[in-house]
Amino acid sequence: MNREKFISELREKLYGLSQSDIDERVEFYSEMINDRMEDGLSEEEAVAEIGSVDGIVEQIMSEIPITALVKEKVKPKRKLKAWEIVLLVLGSPVWLPLAASAVVVLLSLYIVVWAVVICFYAVAAALAGSALGCIVGIFAYLRMGRPAQALFAGGAAVLCAGLAILMFVFCVWLSKAVVKGTGKVLLGIKKSFVGKGE
Amino acid sequence: MDVQLKRGLLDVCVLAAIKSEDSYGYQIIKEMKPYIELSESTLYTILKRLESADQITVRSVEHEGRLRKYYHITDVGLSRLDEFKEDWKEILSIYDFITREDIGNE
Repeated sequence: MNREKFISELREKLYGLSQSDIDERVEFYSEMINDRMEDGLSEEEAVAEIGSVDGIVEQIMSEIPITALVKEKVKPKRKLKAWEIVLLVLGSPVWLPLAASAVVVLLSLYIVVWAVVICFYAVAAALAGSALGCIVGIFAYLRMGRPAQALFAGGAAVLCAGLAILMFVFCVWLSKAVVKGTGKVLLGIKKSFVGKGE
Repeated sequence: MDVQLKRGLLDVCVLAAIKSEDSYGYQIIKEMKPYIELSESTLYTILKRLESADQITVRSVEHEGRLRKYYHITDVGLSRLDEFKEDWKEILSIYDFITREDIGNE
């Protein structure tokens, strides 16, 4: 890929950020390519060393807060005309609840996912509790002089404790997966704010 | 290396790279290369962060018919470097402690 193509592709994929931000970033990469060429690299090699446009865009997206992206998106590209402002205000009973419900839906999805995770933790805790109960049972049965039942309670205690540990390991894994997953979803949402024709 | 640790180190490395004389992006990357790998995108973020923290200043200089940005370390940046050196002394003494324990156990 040559410099020209790299720059225009980067510009296109960053579309949605503020113009000054895009200009500054593009200038930075352009300088980097020029300096490499001055250092003796060919244009192709210089561009290749900078890395892929997609990789760069992904890294920028992971660093930019989502609020900045939304702000840039809703900022009008030109000054609004008087009638447009009137329309916006009059229409607010319609679009405001719609926007609010979109945010709330996303938020509740997030809460539901964590609720499921918490349920699994509760199961793990319940199993641990049962294990303790069974241990108490062992001594109670021994006191009553019923060794067979005590043995049964002991087996149940071991079974519950084992399941509790397995469940707990699974919960930790699940929590990590959810955190990772939400990060990916967030990155996806952020990416949807930039780029032409997407 | 641990991501958090590397992140903190990179800021200081960039400051150190421009300490003796003003430098530009590619020069900084080249200078750091033997010690720590740094991508363009990461450098951009670091420079922005250092600039907004008043630890560096930026000026554009004409070079071969184009503009090149030169970065200059400020007094705030210099004192951050000094702070880092002080902190590192403490870390080194902790390191001595940790490795001494190792030797004792082996």
